[in-house]
Amino acid sequence: MDKLLRKKSNIILFLAPAFILFTAVLFIPICKAIFYSLCNYKTNYPIEFVGFDNYVKLFTLDTTMKTALKNSLFFMIFSCVTQLFFGLVLAALLTNIKAGRNVFKNIYYLPCVLSSAALGLLWMFVFTPKLGINKMMESFGWIDDCANGPQWLFNTDGFIILPIIVISFVALWQYVGQSMMLYMAQISGISSDIYEAAAIDGCTKTQAFFRITLPLIKPMVATAMSLNAIGSLKFFDLVYNMIPEGFLGNRAHVLATHLYDQAFKFNKLGYGCAIGVVLLIMCLIVTFLINKFVKVESYE
Amino acid sequence: MKKKKLLSLALTAVMSMSMLAGCDGGSTGAGTTGGSTGGSSGGVEEISFMVWDDLEASSDLITKGYKDSIDRFNKDFEGKYHCTPITTNLEEYYTKLNALVAAGETPDVFIVSPGPNLNDYVLPGTAAKLDDYLNADGWKATFTSDAVFAGGTYGAEAKDGAGIYAIPLNIAAACVFYNTEMFEKAGAAVPKTYSELLTACQKLKDAGYTPITISAGTAWCLSMVAGYLCDRNGLNLQDVKDHKTDWKDEKVINAGKQIQELSQYFQPTAAGDDNDIATAAFYNGEAAILIQGSWAIGQINGSCTDPEFPSKVGVFAFPAVDGSSADPNRVIAKSDSLAMSSSSQHKDAAVQLMKYFVDDTAQKYTAEQGGKIPVTKVQYDESVAPPELAYVMDVFKNASATFGFYNESLADTEAGSTFDNCFVDIFTGTDPATALDPIQQYYEMNVW
Amino acid sequence: MATMNISMDNSVVEKDKTKRKIISIAIYTFLVILALIYLLPLLWVLMTSLKDDAILMISPWAFPEHLMFENYSYAWKMGYLGRATLNSFIVCSITLLVSMVVGSMAAFAIAKLRWKFSKLMLTYFMIGMMIPIHCVLIPLFIQFSSWKLTNSLVGLIIPYVTFSLPITIYIMVGFFESIPGELFEASVIDGCSVPRMFVSVALPMAKTGFMVTGLMSFVSNWNELLLAMVFISKETVKTLPVSLTKFVGPYHTNYCQMFAAIVIAIIPTIIVYCIFANQIVEGLTAGAVKG
Repeated sequence: MDKLLRKKSNIILFLAPAFILFTAVLFIPICKAIFYSLCNYKTNYPIEFVGFDNYVKLFTLDTTMKTALKNSLFFMIFSCVTQLFFGLVLAALLTNIKAGRNVFKNIYYLPCVLSSAALGLLWMFVFTPKLGINKMMESFGWIDDCANGPQWLFNTDGFIILPIIVISFVALWQYVGQSMMLYMAQISGISSDIYEAAAIDGCTKTQAFFRITLPLIKPMVATAMSLNAIGSLKFFDLVYNMIPEGFLGNRAHVLATHLYDQAFKFNKLGYGCAIGVVLLIMCLIVTFLINKFVKVESYE
Repeated sequence: MKKKKLLSLALTAVMSMSMLAGCDGGSTGAGTTGGSTGGSSGGVEEISFMVWDDLEASSDLITKGYKDSIDRFNKDFEGKYHCTPITTNLEEYYTKLNALVAAGETPDVFIVSPGPNLNDYVLPGTAAKLDDYLNADGWKATFTSDAVFAGGTYGAEAKDGAGIYAIPLNIAAACVFYNTEMFEKAGAAVPKTYSELLTACQKLKDAGYTPITISAGTAWCLSMVAGYLCDRNGLNLQDVKDHKTDWKDEKVINAGKQIQELSQYFQPTAAGDDNDIATAAFYNGEAAILIQGSWAIGQINGSCTDPEFPSKVGVFAFPAVDGSSADPNRVIAKSDSLAMSSSSQHKDAAVQLMKYFVDDTAQKYTAEQGGKIPVTKVQYDESVAPPELAYVMDVFKNASATFGFYNESLADTEAGSTFDNCFVDIFTGTDPATALDPIQQYYEMNVW
Repeated sequence: MATMNISMDNSVVEKDKTKRKIISIAIYTFLVILALIYLLPLLWVLMTSLKDDAILMISPWAFPEHLMFENYSYAWKMGYLGRATLNSFIVCSITLLVSMVVGSMAAFAIAKLRWKFSKLMLTYFMIGMMIPIHCVLIPLFIQFSSWKLTNSLVGLIIPYVTFSLPITIYIMVGFFESIPGELFEASVIDGCSVPRMFVSVALPMAKTGFMVTGLMSFVSNWNELLLAMVFISKETVKTLPVSLTKFVGPYHTNYCQMFAAIVIAIIPTIIVYCIFANQIVEGLTAGAVKG
């Protein structure tokens, strides 16, 4: 038995397809991306090695990069905080109700499986100045003319502009189900004995939630938060489909749209790779920090 | 429960398997449309043509004309040549074209704007030199003059040497369209200068009309007005390029201030309206002035539901800036051009296709239906052509010189886009002196 | 403490009951309102997709007077959505099959075969979950361009399979580890080879795992936009999310048709979701608790 399971040929046979695919399509391209990010690379033109030029430009001169970083970080923090809060609240409420738990759970999770490209179009329309929400506000008499109402997707005032905030709420709407689901899964894994024992000791439900549930699901908080953080750093679909290209100048860029524009619109492939590498490093750092931070706490 | 699960899994598998056949069909189908790499099947030479609008769905009359040219080509050469169009929307056009070039699947013929966009295909040798074809059979002589080729002519910097690399299809001039009825009712006069324009706008506003409809959402629309203002203030792009002056020049800052001044007369949703919505506001009688290229004529006549409306449209040249010594008769002109892939396997077919875009039928259509200025010596029926075209032609004839869109006349495409964005910033209220930083920086980094 | 509970008089219990009732009504009200926030936009899309554009402009929130099914045929034909739906379906199904086979094999090797680096290998695959697709987008695009794999469905399937692998392996490892070793020993005594063991013992035991990973990879690939947008420029090979971008920007002249397109794009996932919602939930639970 043991000999059979240790046989090299079997291991290679089972592992090879995944390993080769993974290495060829993910690992080697990453190495290439790092190399390209040190080059001046345009389609049809010869590659030219320029060292850290792209990175220097990216962080010192590129004003759009600053905006993109600011917006992406805002998305990340916003989604981590709000999804943690609403995800936990929903999970707590749903585990405590008797009837209709599955119905509500399925409804809240639904947008997660839908195309964010399609949902982006839907919400874009809802926030169009002359139609959508403004029209509704007008018919309720809240504003006198829909054209003069809030310019949801086109207002450019403030440090974080309104369109970015609107989009982050849409993202919360779409993805909070994911966090809720992960927390619920973890909560349902907690043995009911613990709660019963606590109830006998006179513990109220609220107390039980903070004293028992929360500490026990901390590992899942770390997982869910890393997923949120990476997901919001990668954010592309909603921004791309809710704010048509060229609108608002460069103010609504996030890292992914900036990368797309630089690499494919302006044909600066090397520069685009530099943005990709920055994005990758950010993802790794954020995952590392969240795991370290949340896990350490859970030992206390 | 278990059985049900297994069943659904099996069902998925079966469905996926049955689709495999479809997949193969799909990929081979894509292969044959692969332009320069595509082989000829059954003796028919297959070529591809790439354009920046949806040929089937667009209501734009110029686009419909392009579709008509391709249909005629396919019909006349049935069994010999066949052309398959590749369409995208304008925003993604160059992205997609670059992707095809990178994949070695450059379309045999593709539409392109002269300027830095064309540079990207001519300088590395993606686009073919067309002199030999133009000189054969007196093709070149059918064009109005050699001047129409100016945008497609390159010197020794092109990889394949000096020559003509693009065939113009039509010329559009940017003018100011106005609603004569609204002007009359508001007692506004056709402005000759910038201050008169402001007065006219104020009168229109007082009369309860939206004076100007513009799209700041589609950045080039705003940037076209910015380009006019810079030019009227006396900015010379060549001087900028040679670094004799820079983007912080008084003239550019003035233009920025004037944009801000004008913006009080824009429709309130200007920031969010795209080009179509902004143009619609003009032909639906919601706003009095539209500053647009003459392609708007095709759009207006293609979409306007009010048959009376075209007779209300007047056209005037962009006004001069008071106190500036700049020539007020310069006009922004733009021509769509065709380029051919240098790696095309079917050059003869490609050249034939290009000829269908500039033959008499196509050029007559360009003028009579599309409202753009034809590039060949074709005789078109002026009584059939939209009345606006005659006005545009007047403006065009009076022009002392033409210049390109600013975003297509700068150092490269990104510089153009940066310029656009700077003026969107200025429009949203940023002080011109600071809003111009990005373009200034871009030139410091990449041009000077 | 226990004695205190018992000694509580009736009035306190009554009070407690009403309090609980109020709380539970409040909770349900909140949940229902939230559910409406989730469902109404989707229902509204469905309603609007059957409207006339002119009426939409005047009263976007009213019910349609005439049902305009033409919107669907227009979106289907002009947006090439029929073709796009087929393409999406082909890509997602093949990806699903391949990633499940390849992924479960690797997961089996990691969970059940005995070798030194199995933990390390798992970590290697797990890193894939943290890597944003954007980072490899450009090198992949360059590489696939030179292999003539852009503008073909195969060119989408390969990266999709790869990006589905980490989650597939992660969940499947959990399932395989939970299978007791005795089962395998029994099969070895019967003279089973390792591949036979995998097919006849391990796979049947991990059906739920397949369901979960399959659905997750199907859903995420069905919705993938960026890679498909970069790789595909030809109408005949576009997937659904890419075709939808046609309706963005200056060319969305007709909103109602855009909504019809949105409905076409989301209906398949809604159907899949309605059928499998409980399995997805169950699987997520299983995967999460094991990991």
